Amino acid sequence: MSSKTTFIGAVEIGTAKVTALVGEYTGREIAIIGCGECTSRGVIKGSVVDYRAATECTHNALEIAERDANERIDHVYLAQTGGHLEGFYNEASVNVKAADNMIEMDDIRTVCDLAKAKDLPLGRMVVHNIRRPFRVDGRLVPTSPENLVGQKLEVGYWTVHGQEQRLADNIHVIRGFNLEVRELVLASLASGHMVTSLEERQNGVLAIDIGAGTTDYVLYRNGAPHTTGVVAVGGGHFTNDISLGLRLTEGQAEKLKLRFGRAVVQARDKSEKVWLDGNFAIGDRQFSRHAIESITAARGWELLEVVRKRLGHAFSPEACAGGVVLTGGGAKMPALVECATKVFGTSARLGEAPSWVNENLRDPGYHTALGVLYYGLSALSDNAAATRRKGGFLRNVSRLFAST
Amino acid sequence: MSKDTHSMPENRTWREIPQDVSPRAMSREGRRRLAMGVMRATLGAFVAGLLAWGAWETAAVLRESPESMSGAAKSDRVRSLVLVTDGVLDRNWLARTLSIPQDATLMGLDLNQLRSRVLADAQVSSASIVRNFPDRLSVRISERSPVVRIMAQAGGEAPAMLLVSRDGVAFPGTGFDPAMVATLPWLDGVRLARSGRSFAPIRGMREVSELLASAKLEAEGLYRTWQVLSLARLATDGEIDVRTRDGMRVVFGTREDYLRQIARLDILVDDSKDPTRPLREVNLSLGSQVPVAYGTAAPALAEPPVGTANAGPAKPIIGYPAFPNLHIDSHREL
Repeated sequence: MSSKTTFIGAVEIGTAKVTALVGEYTGREIAIIGCGECTSRGVIKGSVVDYRAATECTHNALEIAERDANERIDHVYLAQTGGHLEGFYNEASVNVKAADNMIEMDDIRTVCDLAKAKDLPLGRMVVHNIRRPFRVDGRLVPTSPENLVGQKLEVGYWTVHGQEQRLADNIHVIRGFNLEVRELVLASLASGHMVTSLEERQNGVLAIDIGAGTTDYVLYRNGAPHTTGVVAVGGGHFTNDISLGLRLTEGQAEKLKLRFGRAVVQARDKSEKVWLDGNFAIGDRQFSRHAIESITAARGWELLEVVRKRLGHAFSPEACAGGVVLTGGGAKMPALVECATKVFGTSARLGEAPSWVNENLRDPGYHTALGVLYYGLSALSDNAAATRRKGGFLRNVSRLFAST
Repeated sequence: MSKDTHSMPENRTWREIPQDVSPRAMSREGRRRLAMGVMRATLGAFVAGLLAWGAWETAAVLRESPESMSGAAKSDRVRSLVLVTDGVLDRNWLARTLSIPQDATLMGLDLNQLRSRVLADAQVSSASIVRNFPDRLSVRISERSPVVRIMAQAGGEAPAMLLVSRDGVAFPGTGFDPAMVATLPWLDGVRLARSGRSFAPIRGMREVSELLASAKLEAEGLYRTWQVLSLARLATDGEIDVRTRDGMRVVFGTREDYLRQIARLDILVDDSKDPTRPLREVNLSLGSQVPVAYGTAAPALAEPPVGTANAGPAKPIIGYPAFPNLHIDSHREL
């Protein structure tokens, strides 16, 4: 084994399950060599509410992943989600200093610093600063504008920030395993990058990751993330609705949701019944299929409507030629694609992992962890040293999510 | 906008969150990993310290008593010496030069010192010495080959003959066949300078070697008649004076091809078979114009004009004109 070989972990502490992947970077090649999964406990809507329970299941997943890989993880890239995450857009412009109007690095640095310099509320911390393309006298410049000639240089940043305590809780869960968290990666960016192509991101695409407790979304435009967001509604709410509507336990409701739930009502016959278990045992009951479908369809429609409303003017079917891509465990609900097509008024599809991903990791539930691992390995292969330097993170984000 | 960005406060990022957690907040596996990490670091530091200490101790032992290291490897007394050479030096010379004590063990030998002894003989140009366990010492040398000889006299010592190699190094010449040495021409018009226990290399030997090699290869008959080569005018005029056994003086120029000059000389010698008008001087340094001087009578053979190089201040060896009884009576264009 080469001394340069690095083993990194990608961890997603979700509401339903904790996923840990182990990636190997040999200096020339990157590979996924281990996977660990554990049912999540102590996590609600992406936030740790029971430190001990969350630590136990996360460490369990990490142990399984290390055993699977037969290697020890050096450091971790952690997916970040939760209702506490918010984003805002801020832009700045500068007049080019040079007499010949040629843009220099100093101009770029100044405008970037200005665009990022917006005070956050107390107790909030920056998770990502995502740069949108530069504009030189109104002209779009996706890469660096250095040495271009113009009078006015503009840039905007989409800043994602979160609550300090909740971020710290997630980090401490990993640190309790004596592992360093090298980077926090927004779950929507990770999964969005996995299920969309470069061309789609260039033409505009909306990726929606429906998890158990939260729904993360990212809208790409001009090849870069334009808007991100988190809705604190996920697949668990579908289950909860069925549980309340049909007076069932959560486990029974989950079972019905998985077997009969649909995002668009299909059953025409309202008298059609389905069995809870189908084994004719004591306690097995019949329920109206139409009722189940009505509940899940209403919740699916509502969830996508919320996403659309949150996006507001940022989303328009005309500026989103790539359509809508659904991913995450919740996206497996039948007819959700059809529902998204109706809600967003554009084409929609279920996201698929790239072809190089192993068959057992192709389930939409793994896309976030895969995206985080891909991010970590790409950052290592680009320049491991650059990630440690101040500002290196920004360069990597822009490289990974804007131009790759 | 000319706002000074250095005064702008930076927003706090998640990196400012301290990642350290107390061991109590760690899981059992986390604590185990922490303990393993501390243990590994301690062990690494201990091993590094141990290595450093070992290196320090070894260096100290070597510095104080290198002979004590001989016990580290098992070796016997030196029983055989093997000499591999491309010249004439033999095993007796090697034994004499190395002067290894009878009871010396192979590991007890200081190879650098032995090599210095071998290289102290100027006849050896390079040497390598290796131990062949358990009891053999192999010496591989490369020797200098002589091209001329020279008489040297240092201080009040008796004059001694030295051989001179292509690279200008003068050496006593051990083991050479006297018959071969007798065929070498003498070198004159040079000054030997002391350099340590031997002499500094003689300048101009590259030109002399080329001339001699060309003559030996292309006109061995002529070469055999050459008795003295003088370099007195080499540095100033670029000329090499050759005096033959029959008293003829031939001047070679270093700026022209030696083969061409030798060919001209050969033609001249062939054309001048008249014993009443022997050739006395031929100047080949002027290109195609070759001044030739003939003698009026056959000169009596003088004592072999052995050139003597003193280690003291230089004195004129050959005056100019060297042959006052000669006159130039013709110019031949060849």
